[in-house]
Amino acid sequence: MTYINYRIVIKVIGLLIFIMGIFLMIPSLTAAFYEDIVLLPFVKSSALCLTAGVILYMIKVPVKDIRKREGYLIVALGWIILCLLGSMPYLFEEGLDVSLTDAIFESTSGLTTTGATIFDDIESINPAILLWRSMTQWIGGMGIIVFTIAIFPILGIGGVELFVAEAPGPTASKIHPQIKEVAKRLWYIYLGLTASLIFILHYLSGLPAFDAINHALTTMSTGGFSTKNDSIAHYNSAWVEYPIMLFMVLAGTNYTILYFLFKGKFQKLWSSDELKFYLLVLFMCILTGSMVLFGLDYYGLEESFRKAGFQVISLLTTTGYVTADYTSWTPGLELMFFFLLFTGACAGSTSGGIKMIRHLVFFKTSLIELKRILHPRGFMRLKIDGEVPQSRITMHILVFLLFYLIIFAIGVLLISFSLPEIADPFKTAVGAVATSLGNVGPSIGSLGPVDNFADLNQMTKVILSLLMVIGRLELFTVIIIFTPYFWRVK
Amino acid sequence: MNIVIAGSGEVGFHLAQLLVNDGQSVTLIDSDDEILSHAADQLDVRIIRGDVTSTRILENAGLALAKLFIAVTTSQSTNLLACILAKKMGVQKTVARISNPEFLDNDQKTYFKGIGVDHLLSPRWLAAKEVLRLIKRVSATDIFEFEEGKISIIGFTADQSSPIAHKTFEEFYNQYSDQHFRVFAVLRGHQTFIPQKTDRIMPSDHIYLSTDLKDFQEVNSFVGKTLKKVRNIMIIGDTAVAKDTAKILDDNFDVKVVIKSERVCKIFIRDLKDAAIIKGDPSKTDVLVEEGLEHMDAFIAMTDNSETNILTSLMAEELGVYKTIALVDNPAYTHLSQKIGIDTIIDKKLLAANNIFRYVRKGKIEAIASFHGVDAEIIEYIVHEDNKLVRKALGEINFPEGAIIAGVIRGSKGVIPDASLQLQIDDKVIVFMLPVAIKKVESLFK
Repeated sequence: MTYINYRIVIKVIGLLIFIMGIFLMIPSLTAAFYEDIVLLPFVKSSALCLTAGVILYMIKVPVKDIRKREGYLIVALGWIILCLLGSMPYLFEEGLDVSLTDAIFESTSGLTTTGATIFDDIESINPAILLWRSMTQWIGGMGIIVFTIAIFPILGIGGVELFVAEAPGPTASKIHPQIKEVAKRLWYIYLGLTASLIFILHYLSGLPAFDAINHALTTMSTGGFSTKNDSIAHYNSAWVEYPIMLFMVLAGTNYTILYFLFKGKFQKLWSSDELKFYLLVLFMCILTGSMVLFGLDYYGLEESFRKAGFQVISLLTTTGYVTADYTSWTPGLELMFFFLLFTGACAGSTSGGIKMIRHLVFFKTSLIELKRILHPRGFMRLKIDGEVPQSRITMHILVFLLFYLIIFAIGVLLISFSLPEIADPFKTAVGAVATSLGNVGPSIGSLGPVDNFADLNQMTKVILSLLMVIGRLELFTVIIIFTPYFWRVK
Repeated sequence: MNIVIAGSGEVGFHLAQLLVNDGQSVTLIDSDDEILSHAADQLDVRIIRGDVTSTRILENAGLALAKLFIAVTTSQSTNLLACILAKKMGVQKTVARISNPEFLDNDQKTYFKGIGVDHLLSPRWLAAKEVLRLIKRVSATDIFEFEEGKISIIGFTADQSSPIAHKTFEEFYNQYSDQHFRVFAVLRGHQTFIPQKTDRIMPSDHIYLSTDLKDFQEVNSFVGKTLKKVRNIMIIGDTAVAKDTAKILDDNFDVKVVIKSERVCKIFIRDLKDAAIIKGDPSKTDVLVEEGLEHMDAFIAMTDNSETNILTSLMAEELGVYKTIALVDNPAYTHLSQKIGIDTIIDKKLLAANNIFRYVRKGKIEAIASFHGVDAEIIEYIVHEDNKLVRKALGEINFPEGAIIAGVIRGSKGVIPDASLQLQIDDKVIVFMLPVAIKKVESLFK
């Protein structure tokens, strides 16, 4: 008897592939509005996914239990498989002429909401492919597994295991007793915010409908794919930038908090330490940025605030839109933006990276350790939201931070070996790994906001893609599979 | 249905498990972190840490929207207080676990209802009642009547000497083809199953059949050896549940209670009418033998130590006591009972959880019955107009696996169904179902 229930793993992955197939049909709708759209790439990809999905789903499963091991395996394998399958439209679209690695990189960068692209000239690509790019981010933002749990009644407790593996925030607060209902509510909020942003961008900011839809999809998922070569800078309009800034901040907020916000329970907002910390960090960075920009006479007062604000919010929430090339500002600011690649927004949001709650726990724990030096007999415990979290959680978070740094270091080492002849190789390697692991998008060095990832070699792209998946699933879900304990009964 | 359970101990956890499997939304409140995270790991529930009598905590648990509040902490007064608060905060129904069975008296019950506690249950009283049922079953057979006996369900144990032992069910039916009955379930070991025609009846199988006959004497001949009449019962243990059991058995049987502590002896003697009370250490064999253990018809071990209970019961079994019952505190032990030779192991906490679960489900269905040790339900449904079941013969209906129609009540007559029977609107259908089939059957009759 095998210890892991492989049949259920295959069955659920089949279901995920099937859902991917359904999503793959949607870009075909653009054919109704644009000429010259060849439907074949999407029809082919969708048909392949649907067939494969159905075949895998038909597998007979005598025991329907999804326990921890099956949960992690489904999520990790499922994500990797979906990243591979998401690349099909790019490969099948004849005008694009991309290599397999490039297609996979683009697909992974989309699903993990990173937003790094290998396309030189985005504006020349047909709308169906562009919509698919944005959709991959939107699907990956809230998570395809959370979506599956919301729609299909996945087997009770099994759903919880999957949910935790895909959206592994350190604090699990359920806004409804049943995981299915939690997933539904999260998707309602996500859908509602996306729809509002489409409305605002189209009617208030005056963007064409297609642009509004694409940018709303990639804003709410904190993805950062744009349909323009110059990203949001293309519009050069405060009317576009301010709404997007606001919605990036919302997308980076814990969805549990947003849920309470919509329910009108405002006191819950102020009792959240993470939210306060998140807003404080945002405020401090924007203040620093705008003061430097204004002080050094880059822009006027309003523009300094807007440019600094947009860039800070975009990087901190791991979205990755740009309205200005921050690498061309002073080195001090470039360094600050490099550090922002590591922050991440709130846990339980669509953002990537380390996330605020972990920084907060680390910060508070450090303060307590300092206090202990002065009061050796003092009894001190970490408190979050006025309550003492389980001591396990503190340890878990500290280990996460260490792992993050170790993976970062290994990644940088690997990339520096594989990097082609490129200007500023060290900066580029460090930036590329940080931005991939944090699911941000733009980076520093030769991969700044105005550059793209096209010139990297295949090896580098594969490593970066893997880092993106590891980062999106918050390290442990992927790493745990590579531990020997996972495969042993002991 | 939103249900809030206060207290995530053995009762709360087991109950939450039953309710979650039934598709309910469950929120668990407890003050112990470890117990809570265990629950959250195993079940799809929301957990809230804190004092169950704090209105802030109750509010967080979403009580205003909940249909049912169930307080099952170990403290009786906490449970009652929590229920009263919950009722005031807008929950529709409240259930409290209590320890003192006196609260269950009818006039007390109305009083509690007045202050907001709708249903009370006492695990130890449930255990005592269960023991009574089990003892009565030894000397008779299990009988449940539906609609004043229009359909009766009879359970009996086929002995080695039974005329039907080792026969297949087909042979069994042929032998008694003039009688109206249908075997719908067999309890073998701790496993319950629905028998096929080709299955063989094994000695010591407990067999359940349904019949439309008012007085089905034939069943006594199935059993085999003449039924033993239970008279003398020995109960051991210093616990409250031992006292309640002694009290409930006192009227109909000769009860002897062995108690270790003198203090407890005094309480027992005050509360019991006729029972003989012996002061002695029940874990010592010679004490029990001296008090005539081998002449007992039944032995009930109810000390506060599960292991002592199991071991003394085994010893009683060894000495030839006809019926042995051991009280345990660990649900894992309940599965052991038949394997190691004790007749019955009962866990009062599981009993309590099952009892509340039945109470929760009762609203939806006509009648419900359950048998000890049988992990299944017998539920009566009414056939409605838009049911898929009407206008088709039973043989053609794709009835869920793990469920079987035990009987049908049509007007004033009971019918034992065969494949050709066609259900009609307003028929009352008695369905036996294993846990796996409950949801499917429920949707069938919705």
